[in-house]
This record gives sequence, C-alpha cells and structure tokens, in this order.
Amino acid sequence: MNRLHPLSAVTYAIQYGFLWLWVPIVLVLALGGIFDPISPAWSPIAAPLGFLAGAAYGIAYYYRFEYGITPDTFDVASGVFARRSREIPYGRIQNVDVRQGVLQRLLGLAIVSIETAGGGNTEASLNFVSESEANRLQDQIRRRTAYVKEQRRTKQRSANEGEQQGSQRPTEPDADSSDADRTGAVSGAETDTPSDPTAVPPDRADRTDPDSTPVDGEEPDAERRAYASEPDRQRRQRLFDLQARELLLYSFTSFRPAAVAAVLFVFFLATDPIIDLLVATAQPVGGPQEIGEGTATNYGILTVVSMINGIVITYLLSVAYTFATYYDFELGRTGEDFVYERGLLQRYSGSIPVEKVQSVTVTANPLQRLIGYAGLWVETAGYGPESSGGSQSAVPLAEQSRVHRFTENLTDVETPTFRSPPTMARRRYLVRYSLVAAVIVAAVFGLAQVTALEGWYFAAVVFVAVPPAAHLKYVHIGYFVGENHLVVRSGFWQRRTTVIPYYRIQTVSTRRSIFQRRLGLASLVIDTASSRTFFWGTPTIYDVDLEDAREAHTAGRKRLQSALRERARDDDLGLTVDFT
Amino acid sequence: MESLHPRIRLLWIAQGAITAIVLGVVLAGVDQWLADVPTAVIAGVVAVGLVLGIAYAVRLYQVWQFELQNDALYLERGVVTFVETAVPFVRVQHVDTQFGPIERALGLSSVVVYTAGSRNADVRIPGLTPDRARDLQDTLRELAVESEADDAV
Amino acid sequence: MEILNPRIRLLWIAQGAIAALVLGIVLAAVDQWATDVPTSVIAGIVALGLVLGIAYAVRLYQVWQFELQSDALYLERGVITFVETAVPFVRVQHVDTQFGPIERALGLSSVVVYTAGSRNADVRIPGLTPDRARDLQDTLRELAVESEADDGV
Repeated sequence: MNRLHPLSAVTYAIQYGFLWLWVPIVLVLALGGIFDPISPAWSPIAAPLGFLAGAAYGIAYYYRFEYGITPDTFDVASGVFARRSREIPYGRIQNVDVRQGVLQRLLGLAIVSIETAGGGNTEASLNFVSESEANRLQDQIRRRTAYVKEQRRTKQRSANEGEQQGSQRPTEPDADSSDADRTGAVSGAETDTPSDPTAVPPDRADRTDPDSTPVDGEEPDAERRAYASEPDRQRRQRLFDLQARELLLYSFTSFRPAAVAAVLFVFFLATDPIIDLLVATAQPVGGPQEIGEGTATNYGILTVVSMINGIVITYLLSVAYTFATYYDFELGRTGEDFVYERGLLQRYSGSIPVEKVQSVTVTANPLQRLIGYAGLWVETAGYGPESSGGSQSAVPLAEQSRVHRFTENLTDVETPTFRSPPTMARRRYLVRYSLVAAVIVAAVFGLAQVTALEGWYFAAVVFVAVPPAAHLKYVHIGYFVGENHLVVRSGFWQRRTTVIPYYRIQTVSTRRSIFQRRLGLASLVIDTASSRTFFWGTPTIYDVDLEDAREAHTAGRKRLQSALRERARDDDLGLTVDFT
Repeated sequence: MESLHPRIRLLWIAQGAITAIVLGVVLAGVDQWLADVPTAVIAGVVAVGLVLGIAYAVRLYQVWQFELQNDALYLERGVVTFVETAVPFVRVQHVDTQFGPIERALGLSSVVVYTAGSRNADVRIPGLTPDRARDLQDTLRELAVESEADDAV
Repeated sequence: MEILNPRIRLLWIAQGAIAALVLGIVLAAVDQWATDVPTSVIAGIVALGLVLGIAYAVRLYQVWQFELQSDALYLERGVITFVETAVPFVRVQHVDTQFGPIERALGLSSVVVYTAGSRNADVRIPGLTPDRARDLQDTLRELAVESEADDGV
C-alpha cells in the first residue's frame, strides 16, 4: 500500500487544526452557559489545545491513509478512529480525474479522484499525491481497466464462437477494426487515422517489458503485467483544441450562476464599503450625496446605476471565471479513453472511458446561436469534480456545423429531423406564462398597497412578453426517434439537444397532468444513469400527442432490448473515439 | 394488469387524516398565538382535508395498476399527474420489500425497485400482501440476473 | 440466514444512550435559559430514552439477518419499517468495510455495498467480526469482478 505525498500531512494538520480549533471554544461556551463550574474564560486555553488535537489528528490521518493498486481492484484504506477500507473493481471505474490548484502546481502536487456509478460522491479522492504519481495512477488504472475489458471481450468472443459454430461472422472485433470501419464510413471526417496500434489484445503481447512501475500486493500474472506496461498503449492523440478565438467567444457568451453567488457573498461580507462605493459612483449622474438624504429621483438613479454596476461586475466575473476554467482546453484520446486537460489557475485533467459515456448533449444559448456556435458535452454515471455533475465538456465551443458533425461522428446518429409537439402545446405555454405575468402584476399591486409606490398598473407591460415567450419555448422543443438513438431538444435560454443511445435507457415514463389530459397531450421522460444536477433535468419530450408519446415509449423499450442484444453480440463500443 | 390490495386505501386515508389533523393543530396554534381563527373555520378546513384525502385515496386506488411484461415492469399511477413507467428488468439494480408500522397493522407490504437512473431512481409498489411482495421481489431479482446473462450491458 | 454478532446490541445501546444524554443536555439548557423544567422530568425523559434505546437495540438484533444467495446478497432488517433487500452480485459497484470508534472497541466491523441505485450507503451490514467482514468483502468483490456486466449501469 502507498501513502500520500508527505506534504499532505502538513496540509491535513493545518486543515484539521483550524477545524478543531472551534470545537473546544464552542463546547466551553455552550457548556459554560448551562453548568456553572465551567467558565467561558477557559476558551483562550481551550483553543490552542483544540488546534493541537486537530493537527495531531491530521497527521494521524495522513499516516492512516493508504491506497494501492491490486490485480483486480483499486484499494483505499482510511480513517483514524473510524476506519474504512474500500475496494473498487477496475471494471466499475467511470472516470479518473486529476486536479491541480495554483499552490499545488507550484509544489508539484495533484488531487486524484476516482468515480464509480455507485454512491453519492467521489469514491476515492487522493489529496495529495505528487504529479508523477498522479499520472502513473491515471495510467495504471486506465490500462488495468482496459485489460479487464479486453479479457471480458475475449471471453465473450469465445462464447459467441462456441454458440454459432462455423458462422462466417468476422470475430476480430477489436477497436482497430471497428474504428477503421467507422472512420471510413463517416463522411467529412477530417483526420483519417491509420488503424490504431494501441488496441492490441493482451494475448499478443510478446514484448514483455519488465514492469517499470511498482505494483503492490500480489504480483499479477505475466499477461496482465505485459498489458500494464505496454508503452505504446498510452500514446496520446489530439482530438480537439480550444482556439483563442473560441475561448474568448465562449467566455463572453456564456454565463455562470456561480458569479452571482460570488458577488452576493462579497456584498454581504463587506456591505458598508460597497454601498459607499456605489453611492460615490452614482453621484456624478445624479445620485444622492449620502445615504439618508436626497429625493426619490436621486434614489431611483442610485438604484439603476447600482444595478447596472452589479450586472456588469457579475458578467465580467463570469467571463473571467469561464476564461480561467477553460484556458488551454485540450481533448485527446488514449486507447479507448477520452483524456482532457484545461484550466489556467486550477488545472484539471481527466479521463473518461468511451464505453462509460451515457449520453451526449449539444448546448447553445441565444448569443451562441446568434453567432452560430455550440458546445458538446458527454455525460457519465460518475459524479464529476464540478457542479455540473457527471457532465464533462468535450468541446466547450465550436462552430455549430462542426459540433453537429462531431456529434454525428461520435454517436453515429443520423442527422435528426426534429418533430414538434402539436400547436396545442403552445396554447398551454401561453396560459402558463399569462398566469406568471398575472402573479407578477398582483405582487406589484400588493407592494403598491404597503409602500408609496405609484402606478402599479405599469407592471401589466409584462403581458407583452407572454406571446413571444410561449412561442420561443414552443419552437425549441423537438424530438427525433432515430434508428439507434433518441434525440431530445428543449430550452430557449440554454437549448440542450441530448442524444440518447437506446441501450442507455434506464426507465421510460409517460406523464400526464390533469391539464395535459384535457388537451390529449403527454410528456415522455427518458431516464439514463447520467448523474446530473438540478439544472440539468432528465431528458424529457414535453407535450406531445398521447399517441406519439405512447409510440416513442414503446419504441424506446423495444429498441433498448434489441440494442442490448446487438451490443453483446457485436461487442460494439457504441461510440466512435475519433470523432473530430 | 394487477391492482393493489383494497386495504391500501385505508393506509392512504390514514395518511390524509394525519395531514388534516396536523393542519388543524397548526391552525389552532395560529388561533392561540397570532390572529383569531374561528373554530368553525378550523373544523371546516379539517373536514375538507379529510374528504379530499378520502376522495384522493379512492381515486388513487382505482388508477394504480402494474404488470410484469415480458421485458419490463410496467406501472400506471397518479391522480393529479398520471404516470406510466416502464422499468426494464435489465435495469434493476436491487429490490427491497418493506413495510412500516401502519402497513404492518394492515397486513400489507411494499416492493421498491432501484435503478441507476437520475430521476424515478426508486419505484415503489405499495399495497401488496407480504406473500405477493416476497414473490415479486424474487421474480424481479431473477429476471434482473437472467436478463443480465444474455445481454451484458 | 446469518445473524449479526451479539455485541452489536452494545453498539446500538451506546448510540441510544448518547442520544438520550444529548436530549438531557438540551433539556438542561432549556431549563437554564427558557422555561423551568423540573429535574425529575429531565431524569425521567433520559431514563425513558435509555429504556427505549435498549428495547430497540434488542429488537433490531432479533430481526437483522442476511444471506449470500446464489445470485444475490439478501438482507432483512428494521424495527419500525421492516425492509428486505436483494442486491444481485452483478450490480455491485464497490464494497467497503468500515468501523467507527465504538465498533473498534467492541471488535466489530461493517460491510457497505454500493450499487448504482443506492445514492447513499443504504446497503450496510453492521455487527460483523473483522475477519467475517474482510471475508464478505472479498467474496462480494470477487463476485462483482467475475460478473459479466461491464459496469452494471
């Protein structure tokens, strides 16, 4: 078993020291209030004791945290008082991520996170290991996962051979042959790669290098060893680079809700100086001299100017954040894994096995659509290191036509011809948004009753926005029941087009609310195992005719079964790694 | 299609009644400490809650149906929003049977099917006799394992 | 069916006792700052909590059972809500063994099984000897590795 990098002991000591600093203080204060013999005056003595205890705990934690690569599993044992030892089979690993912050980059450290589809959060998080160790781990895990996969395939293949004796079906379904087929078949693929030498099955490994990296636990057998150390297996091929122009466009056209949270947080942290600053900026254009004096007009101007300031600052912050996050984005492939790297201050790199991808989503907001750009995301069942859940950006932003071509190459989906819901659906949205507008007007009316606000009826202006809003929502809804995929599109502000292979469907539900039943409409919810957050809802086809919904429901179920059978027989990855 | 056991209505009515009583208590609290609420209004609200709860329970029982089809567990349910769900056997992760105190008193049991999905990740079939629940659990588990064998996901 | 190690009752009783003590401290705080609570009432509540905790622990121990069946791990547990869970081996994502400070003092250990359907560790077998836990983890891991599914999702 291995330990983390020794510097982690220091960081754990400091981290737990400061965490535990508060425990005795709170305890002394709380108990001192209840029981007389305990005096709150003890807290100056209690605090350093708490820190020391915390630091000791941190160091003990370092010494009690061990991880190791064993033949079948990745093992982590951790905990000082409460112990946990975890074994993760390689075949279950969804993705491996390496993250580096600014300080960690200076010190040559990295955080490695390993995800499976189980549990609610990251299954194994190693902070910190050295950079080289992180790369070694990422590599080793990837090779071993590939080995497990290959072994399973070999087994399956021999099973298939036994089953259909003498059938002339080609039984050489390695990645190289299927890749070559695909790239040949896909029109418009720019990079036609020669058949991939990295996908040699392990049994052909006649170059048994001495295992260069130490492996813990029992020694793996020779075959496995050969597989784990083949140097050319990990040759990396570049698929997509984010150009400077695309990075800037992406930064300026996307918006991150986190920026709002950051601005609000800073505002609450330093309310007074910020209000002074806002008053000072509003003064030259007619704001009040000071808070507490000035006319209603002054205050109106102050409000408007402050709001503009707030919006501009939030937007700039969001731009900077996006820029720093996606700086130097690079997507490549190693064997059958996507590997990506990005980040200016905090450096992320990760690997996603292609066969773990659950669905593929193309996103575009109105600005991006206006300039003809879009982004491409892949979703896995793991829980990603970011707020976006299991969703990872494969192509943050590129021209729409390119992104569409990428999607088609990646998933092998035919160009979708979207079907729209019946126009009855638009009437629903009209009613729905009218109700929202009515609520707004009512709220303003209520406000006018309790404050000196005049002219509440001007709020009725919002009704003007109702018909266009309903129409825009309606026109962006679409779905396509393809040969091997279901394509679902919805949303105006963030339009998402999700391509779901049938073999990834978990459950299918048809939902009808009382209003939908009256209009003969239904919504179809197609659930996959992608772990996404609140903002990325489950793919849903909204408000289609009940008949169509039923049809899609049946089609989804039927094709799930046939696709699963096909997949087992043909040993198909389902996705093309070389999609650009 | 299979219906639930009729006694499940009692469970749902009990749940509705508890909600109505809690609402009544809250209103009584408001009456006590905040604004005056006439006793008639409180009684009326509780009564309406009870009636609605009973109507809901009866209607829900009428719509709730499920079936083991050849490839999937199929369920239909919902009073306000009517939902038809298909859970393919290949997608079943694990299966529970469970019963709480009221269910135990009524001699009922539920089956909960877990999938890896992000939404509807657990599907519950309430109102089964304990035997039927055990049966269903066994069947579902076998189907999940079997369908796994011929088509590894 | 296999039952848990009898010492697990001590762990559950200890947990109940801690809960009762915390309740006592909270009541003492209420007595100090808010309204007067007679000491006898506090003592009575703590004692009642302790008795309930012990009864719960004893009952839970009687109910808790598990078994490695041919294709699945099967668990039965629950005092208030009785739950029977079947986890097909092909669906196991990863397996933990865990023990906390009290468990360590009692010489006990738990096995936690994660499937893609369990969002939180809800398939947990407490009260095993460390050897048995280790054993069970190894068995489950092997069964999970051997199974044909690629990722069980």
